[in-house]
Amino acid sequence: MAENKKHKPKILILATISGGYAGADSVGQLHTDYPTNTYILPVLCPCIFPEEFYLRCFEQGIDAILVMYSGTDSPYKGGPERTAVMINQTYPLMKERGIDTRRLRLAAICTVCTKPFLKEVTQMDTLLKGIGFVRDEMTIPEAVQ
Amino acid sequence: MMEKLLNTLKIDALVVGGGIAGMQSALDLADQGYQVAMVEKEASIGGKMIALSKVFPTLDCCSCITTPKMSAVAHHENIHLFTYCEVQSVEENTNGFKTTVLQKPRYLDADACTGCRMCEYVCPIDLRNPFDLNMGATRAVRVPFSTAVPQIAVLDMENCILCGKCEKACPVGCIDFSQQPKLFTLQTDTIILATGFETTKRDAKKEYGAGELHNVIDGLMMERLLAPTGPYGRIIRPGDGKEPDSIAYVQCAGSRDKTLGVEYCSRVCCMYAIKQAMLISGSLPLADITIYYMDIRAFGKGYEQFFQNARAMGVEFVRGKVAKITQDDHQNPVVRFESTDNGSKVSERTHDLVVLSTGMLPSYDTKPVYRIPAGDDGFVYVPEPNSAPCVTDREGIFVTGAAAGPMDIVDSIVMAGAAAMESAAYMSEKQDQAEIHEQAEESEMEVAHV
Amino acid sequence: MSESTNPKKKEEKDEEVRIGVYTCYCGGNISDAVDCEHVKKVMTDLPNVVVSRTDMSMCSDAGQALIEKDIKEKGINRVIVGACAPSLHEQTFRGTVARAGLNPYLYHHVGLREQDSWVSHGDYRGATCKALNLMTAGVAKTRLLAPLEPIRLEAEKHALVIGGGVAGLRTALDTARRGIQVTLIEKSPFLGGRMAQLGKVFPTDEDACATLDKLIQKVASHPKVTIFTQAEVTGVSGYVGDYQIKILQQSRGINNDIAEAVLDADMPKVPDAFNYGLTERKVIYKAYPGCYPPTPAVDWAHYNGEPIIVNGQPTIFYNKPKNFDLKVGAIVVATGFKPYEPRAGEYGYKELPEVVTLPQLIRYLELDKTTRTLTWAGRAVNDIALIHCVGSRDTEGVHEPQADGQVNNYCSRVCCTATLHMANELRERFPDTNIYDFYEDIRTYGRGHETYYQKALEGMVRFLRYRGIERPEVVAAPEGDTHPVLVRAKDSLSQGEEMEVAADLVVLAVGMMPTQVDELVQMLKISRGVDRFLAEVHPKLRPVETAVNGVILAGTAQGPMTIQESVAAASAAAVKVAVLLGQGEVQLDPFVAYVDPEKCDGNGACIEVCKYEDAIKMETVTINGKDVKRAVVTPANCAGCGGCVSACPNRAIDIQGWTLDQYDAMVDAIALDLWDLMEVPA
Repeated sequence: MAENKKHKPKILILATISGGYAGADSVGQLHTDYPTNTYILPVLCPCIFPEEFYLRCFEQGIDAILVMYSGTDSPYKGGPERTAVMINQTYPLMKERGIDTRRLRLAAICTVCTKPFLKEVTQMDTLLKGIGFVRDEMTIPEAVQ
Repeated sequence: MMEKLLNTLKIDALVVGGGIAGMQSALDLADQGYQVAMVEKEASIGGKMIALSKVFPTLDCCSCITTPKMSAVAHHENIHLFTYCEVQSVEENTNGFKTTVLQKPRYLDADACTGCRMCEYVCPIDLRNPFDLNMGATRAVRVPFSTAVPQIAVLDMENCILCGKCEKACPVGCIDFSQQPKLFTLQTDTIILATGFETTKRDAKKEYGAGELHNVIDGLMMERLLAPTGPYGRIIRPGDGKEPDSIAYVQCAGSRDKTLGVEYCSRVCCMYAIKQAMLISGSLPLADITIYYMDIRAFGKGYEQFFQNARAMGVEFVRGKVAKITQDDHQNPVVRFESTDNGSKVSERTHDLVVLSTGMLPSYDTKPVYRIPAGDDGFVYVPEPNSAPCVTDREGIFVTGAAAGPMDIVDSIVMAGAAAMESAAYMSEKQDQAEIHEQAEESEMEVAHV
Repeated sequence: MSESTNPKKKEEKDEEVRIGVYTCYCGGNISDAVDCEHVKKVMTDLPNVVVSRTDMSMCSDAGQALIEKDIKEKGINRVIVGACAPSLHEQTFRGTVARAGLNPYLYHHVGLREQDSWVSHGDYRGATCKALNLMTAGVAKTRLLAPLEPIRLEAEKHALVIGGGVAGLRTALDTARRGIQVTLIEKSPFLGGRMAQLGKVFPTDEDACATLDKLIQKVASHPKVTIFTQAEVTGVSGYVGDYQIKILQQSRGINNDIAEAVLDADMPKVPDAFNYGLTERKVIYKAYPGCYPPTPAVDWAHYNGEPIIVNGQPTIFYNKPKNFDLKVGAIVVATGFKPYEPRAGEYGYKELPEVVTLPQLIRYLELDKTTRTLTWAGRAVNDIALIHCVGSRDTEGVHEPQADGQVNNYCSRVCCTATLHMANELRERFPDTNIYDFYEDIRTYGRGHETYYQKALEGMVRFLRYRGIERPEVVAAPEGDTHPVLVRAKDSLSQGEEMEVAADLVVLAVGMMPTQVDELVQMLKISRGVDRFLAEVHPKLRPVETAVNGVILAGTAQGPMTIQESVAAASAAAVKVAVLLGQGEVQLDPFVAYVDPEKCDGNGACIEVCKYEDAIKMETVTINGKDVKRAVVTPANCAGCGGCVSACPNRAIDIQGWTLDQYDAMVDAIALDLWDLMEVPA
């Protein structure tokens, strides 16, 4: 399967409704193309996700995760800070599993941040072209096997 | 059903016209709890907007904006919809306005019709489809168009041969060839006029071929050609079905033109031409598109950026007024123009298809029925546009949308909200006064008792 | 991933999940880039999917009827539509399923247009495959949807209107006329905003101040309106129906006893912003003679604290700012615009004294309404050059950016008509003047506007037309010249000839910029468009509403508008307030935390991370005869951020409608490799 050129590494984008998700809609309204291996899921605030959530994504075969939160514009008290904490706590766990930490990225995207949105997506896509699928680098813990 | 409704319901506001402006006004009133009656002369609501393809500057498909509003109007518990009806007369009384409405016969039982279209399938009469501006085909009995609200058929008696096939095919037996027009009345506190506009007739200008050139169409026809539900499903010349390689837009074809008696700017034509040019370059990427114009009026929010995008996409903008359009031996339109970019030289260019960016004209004279005069431009007169843009010179009657002058969709929707506000505030204040009056009477009575 | 986690789900537990999947063509917007029929086919085979359909326009009445019919006839109990962005039509379809008797939260919306078809041109297979993953993920979430009830809260029948210009005044009046209490706050000491600075206005040639004054009188005398001038918002919390607002108001500094006398007193002067710096005014002042409130105010930014002799008494004025709180149900932002301030040197502005802006000229002519001779800087003015599009229609990379790096690439809408209105006024009042109008396009679009253009053409205004990238140049005339300034441009109306106009006065038709309201934008969590004006949700679907429920826009804060358009927009804003607050109750989505008492062990991790007061409490409950601690959520106090969800080691707490299980299910679906389901290319 991996040899088929059509099979491209997948980027999951977790985007806040008040920020990144609306920003992605703005990109759409401008009809600006970006790669199709990008899948955006709306979130109220990504502080909902514990470390295991991200690890599980990689285990399932998601090759990269862009967390597009609302940064200082977040309508939730403490939400952005907690999101950053959870992501920082995920990085060492990724390392333990041999996952390149660049596969998980946090970025503040606002409702009209069309250029930053495209930049994040393009950068991640370029990175994945270089480092390939997550399953090829992961050391799956025995317990999971 | 209708009689029962009219006997039992106190209706607060009458909205005349079910286009985008009328629908928005009705929704904004109904959402506040007012009972609204909407009278629409066509068999479906949706107005001019429902026939459009995609709309500037967002390029949303027009249906995505219009059809949910149509649906919301039809389903709103406070809105009572009367389609295929026309207002006959308006009388003022102590309670407000008593409006007499004519229900035109659909020649079928509207309550029973399910919109299944069996009648349409069996009808032997093929007609040019007025919804597609006579480009596609339809039948003498039909649901007016696919997204029509209500989904009820209407029989075109002028073209019907009374063969009875539809009557036999109808699963609910609702066809009624003997149906007669009916009159009914509505008692309301206030009226909102949302009677919309017409467009310049294609044959209005002799110099542009007086409607006789085969491959000269107007803006609304191009809208239908571009619409996903359009007559041909693609852009072809109506003259011979050929796919055009070179398309020209002639701006101000019916606006800013003293010879036609229309001195005003129609406000939407620049933007719709630019939008159509962008949509055409999407479906015919190799086609050359030229827009002949005097001034590009891209004034609204996001419009200038939209115009600049079109320019960047390669749409050619030629500054100059088109003097004349003729056609060559292959029915290709020939445009004669004076380009101010080119030393005011008069040149001629041949295109495959010419679109006249026709303007907006008043569609309805409010004088006879409503005793409301028109302004110099023929649209409903608004005495104090800067203070009260929706207030006519007759108390209790308000105007909105393009009935009050050329207006694009965004501005119509905003003005529709304003008209709803004016009429709601008018009703609130009337109510307050009535209560004050009542209280005064009560206290007088108390005094009398003492 | 059992559904037993939500107590509400238990009732539904035995019910078979029957999903209806609908993929919208969106009139070609989606189907041009995505093979909707293929999506429909693949969806048909997913577990629990009972029907899968496509339609040209799902949001149309016929499209909605399809769903209703399937709910009634096929027993569908979960619905998912792949269409435009959820912000546009999610509510529409929640309404559809509710009409058919289904709980509205058993609906899920997937954005296939803005996030797939509109961003994947030329990759039909890629876009289709992406749609397959997105829809499969959507179905996975739909499978786990639970019925929810909206939170109903009492709404404060009181609106805050920010800004006392024509739009704010109009919104305040209309809202009050509908029986809703209004607090109107204005930053400056006087009402009226930019409109008060105008003279005669198009399209009626009425006097702006006279019209404005009538409106102000109606607002000020309305029993339901309270006005605070010199007031600003300093804090916002809460949500629609129940906003808590902190307001800071400066003292007026003057009581009515000395209101008359103080104006005659001797005191320091400062440039008068009302006249755009053309004149000076005292530090205790009235903005203009008929202003409201009529009491003068102290300009605290410029008053130096020294005593001023009033009625023979040395008097010191003190500012004692007041803080107070308001509870309102909705907020209308009517913060207006400011005229574009040209850069020093832009068309000679600030370098040549004969270069002024149109707003400045309007004030200048208002200062002496009777004079029949026009002079400027002590010289008689015979030749006037008007230049359009100053600070409007700029092109990135061509025109010099402003200090913040921005260029105004938008059209300011009002300047063409305002300029020609001025041209006609000049020709009438000073018939000997020659007027030269430099323009790219004349945009007299509105009702009655074209008349001004016609009149200017007939009134011998000389029009010179430049190309957008070749704008006119304004230079000082050589010494000894008859005129102080020269304006040069390539005029396409004279075969592109380089024209030079000698002028006594150059008037720049400056565009509109939004008033700087960064702090307010941040407090309200609303957003701005790329043009930096405040952004509406959608120009046609929700033209005066922001993405924040209960925060509404009125007037030029949203974009350039004429007076007439501002008034209409203000009334449209008022109608939204009336709809929102008129019933005295608002409904909120129930996307708040809930606890599964079976999984909760009372460790309190959720309470530790929660930033919302009284949102989660620990309560003692009796389970199996034992007293144990369990977390309990108070929905009205929970914002639904989900911080508690990531803190709980037991997955005992979740956000209703956005559960972790649902996310896990969606991730699994996105990770699926669906290329194999793509048909072989033709």
